[in-house]
Amino acid sequence: MQFELRTQVIEQRRKTFSNLVRRYGDRPASRYEEGSVDIQATENFHYRPLWAPDKELYDPAYTVFRLTDPYSFMDPRQFYYAPYVQSRAAMGDAFAKSLEYVDTRGLLQKLPAGWDALVGDLLLPLRHYEAGAELILIEGSRFAYGTTIEQACMYSAFDRIGNAQSISRIGIVYADGHDHALSQAKEKWLTDPALQGLRRLIEEMLVERDYARELIVLDLTDRLLYSLMFTHLDEAALMGGAGAYSLLAQHFAGWFTDQRRWVDHLIKTWFADEEFGEANKAAFNDVLAARWQQIVEAVGDLATAVEARVGTGAVAASDAAASALVTDLEALGLTVPGGK
Amino acid sequence: MSVPTQKPVRKLSMKQRYSALTHDLDWPLSYVEEDDAFPYTKFEGIKVHDWSKWEDPFRLTVESYNKYQAEKDRRLYAVLDGFAQSQGQLSLSDASYMNAMKIFLQGIPSGEYQAHRNFAHLARYLNGPGARFASLCQSMDELRHAQTEIHTLSHYNKFFGGMHDWNKMSDRVWYLSVPKSFFDDAGTAGPFEWLIAIGFSFEYLLTNLLFVPFMSGAAFNGDLPTMTFGFSAQSDESRHMTLGLEGIKFMLEQDEDNLPIVQAWLDKWFWRGYRLISLVAGMMDYMLPKRVMSWKEAFELYFEEQMLNGLFKDLAYYGIKPPRDVEWAIQEKEILSHQVYWILYQFSHAAAFTTTVPNAQDQAWLAEAYPETWPIYKSVVWDKAQKVMDEGGRYFNPGLPQLCQVCQIPMGFTEPGDPMTQCQRHSIYEGERYDTCSDGCKWIFEREPEKYVQAWLPVHQIYQGNCGGPTLPDVAVWYGLEPGDGGEYVGSMDQLDWAAWHASTVKEG
Repeated sequence: MQFELRTQVIEQRRKTFSNLVRRYGDRPASRYEEGSVDIQATENFHYRPLWAPDKELYDPAYTVFRLTDPYSFMDPRQFYYAPYVQSRAAMGDAFAKSLEYVDTRGLLQKLPAGWDALVGDLLLPLRHYEAGAELILIEGSRFAYGTTIEQACMYSAFDRIGNAQSISRIGIVYADGHDHALSQAKEKWLTDPALQGLRRLIEEMLVERDYARELIVLDLTDRLLYSLMFTHLDEAALMGGAGAYSLLAQHFAGWFTDQRRWVDHLIKTWFADEEFGEANKAAFNDVLAARWQQIVEAVGDLATAVEARVGTGAVAASDAAASALVTDLEALGLTVPGGK
Repeated sequence: MSVPTQKPVRKLSMKQRYSALTHDLDWPLSYVEEDDAFPYTKFEGIKVHDWSKWEDPFRLTVESYNKYQAEKDRRLYAVLDGFAQSQGQLSLSDASYMNAMKIFLQGIPSGEYQAHRNFAHLARYLNGPGARFASLCQSMDELRHAQTEIHTLSHYNKFFGGMHDWNKMSDRVWYLSVPKSFFDDAGTAGPFEWLIAIGFSFEYLLTNLLFVPFMSGAAFNGDLPTMTFGFSAQSDESRHMTLGLEGIKFMLEQDEDNLPIVQAWLDKWFWRGYRLISLVAGMMDYMLPKRVMSWKEAFELYFEEQMLNGLFKDLAYYGIKPPRDVEWAIQEKEILSHQVYWILYQFSHAAAFTTTVPNAQDQAWLAEAYPETWPIYKSVVWDKAQKVMDEGGRYFNPGLPQLCQVCQIPMGFTEPGDPMTQCQRHSIYEGERYDTCSDGCKWIFEREPEKYVQAWLPVHQIYQGNCGGPTLPDVAVWYGLEPGDGGEYVGSMDQLDWAAWHASTVKEG
């Protein structure tokens, strides 16, 4: 016996929304494209903001970094909300599993003395660094021009407050279910000279109104800080009998690899812009001229403090990371103060 | 770690733990001035003495947020995929139902998106970490809603008119300047006004009136994706309502000087929001093939019963009174939808939805829902429109309407208690005359004339030559309108396609 399955074929009037057809031709579009491209209003704004009467509600002039077409930037991860939260739910599960493993075996209580001090004095205070990073990135979500850029900033901001919470959870496990280690870490963040460079950087970014300049300073600092705290120390922890540190650090290093994908691509897109590429490069150089030394010193102070607690060669590793970053930036045609 | 001299005995309670993960992340700034880092929370005159008094409206960590939301989206997108695969649009009640969804897509996602951006502003610029984190979560949610709405309606866009250029249209088309100016107004205000405008007035006072009609309409008319979206958004919405309520209570509890400011915002934003959702009134009573309830019933239940008799009784404790023009709105509930749909009918040749004369079944329903007022509109308006149809024509208004300077709806509302006399108010500002549709809009104009004179009024812009050209066809092109988007429903592409699809089903069956 044979069955004949018949489906009615109904002709589609169109494959996707007209703005995408105008941009990419008559082809089906992805959900990332439909939910991200041309979503922000661009014209016919009704009123000027009471808090910025010289600008429109959405205005390219909120930053000196410009793109001829804001949608020349597309997130290489193609994150719209649904895949973003799914990706982060999976990351959250993995982190929770590691933390639970560390917790049930009391591994943070069994850290060698130097590593114990490192976690309490230097890792836990970084939850405030992450919280500050969230404020910096959310500025981009409000003020970037175009949905693809601001959306990436939004998710990144949410990531950072998530990182701050993850570090705080480490602190609670570290203190066996209490919050006194977090209070002590906050005191360190406020007073320990080793952390003041970072705190000053973050605070100064909170009075800078150009989200892109803020983003760049944060990213340059992140590159050195993550390299030190979560790559260098991850490897060193394994050698130094601090497996718990490595187990937790890998999640931050893994997240940062993902973070770099969109930031790198944004920088490339800024520089590749036919009309504004050179101006963007010059604007980036301005940021480097103003902040590079400060960033290197801030992370250098942290590296020195790390080295004082665990002899892992942190200062040398941090210098090497800074030097590698100079090479990367110069390869983009940028001028790094005191560079090669 | 080094053991403190006196180790606390009890482990953290849920509340302490949440506080450690959120509020405690904040620190007193010392390298810069707090006022420079948070410069926008003083100019509106709201006094806050202690941000730590902010009660978290919900306790959600990033980890739990991601987990819940990922699960909800997995289910929602599974429904959307299944619906598209099975050509679910064929089992809608009727192609004319899509008109409600066209208005939804043209008007709502851009508003959700504005809410996303401006809650991000609060998430950055409110001084208190609890208030910032709640705003951050809402900003995320609003982006979710904008995108899930677009993705929900994406399948319909492939088969029906009116949806294909929703983002361009929301920047340009005359009736879409109503929602756009509403959100622009809130977004250009300060952060506290935004919290009252959107967080409280829109998300709390009026949210049921806005969303229940669309979502129940979807359920009644075979629109599984939109209904699923609605359910999926509901748990987000309930968080938003608690944030709005905490926002107003926080301001009122911080300083009694805040009361008159908050009351004035409430008065303004009730009326702004009420005028905005009058578009929903027209949709509910005239555009749904299968109706859920009338606008009048919805207004009585969701506004008069739940808000005036419920919420405002609670707020009276703080000295808050019901919004100043609420009596006018109550009076209008009998006529609002008739007036709005008549405006849409006359000008749908320049719109991205279709309209038609209510059929016999619709008329019977209207007569029952509005026994006092329907007979008037039937004889004054619809019998004549039907006569034109019977003679092979279709009545469209050949002119351009005058728009209210504030709500931007064409002047079509009437004097209270007198449904035959058009209401028009005017104000003089710097020697120019500005017209408004009601006492409510006039009052709003006169509070901030320097703001409302800036309005991008679509009709003025056409006259000034900023909308593609002097003739209606020029403007239609500039709007992004294509054949099949607007006009009369009977004989429209949507109706003809619908008939053809169902004819072939019958043949094959």
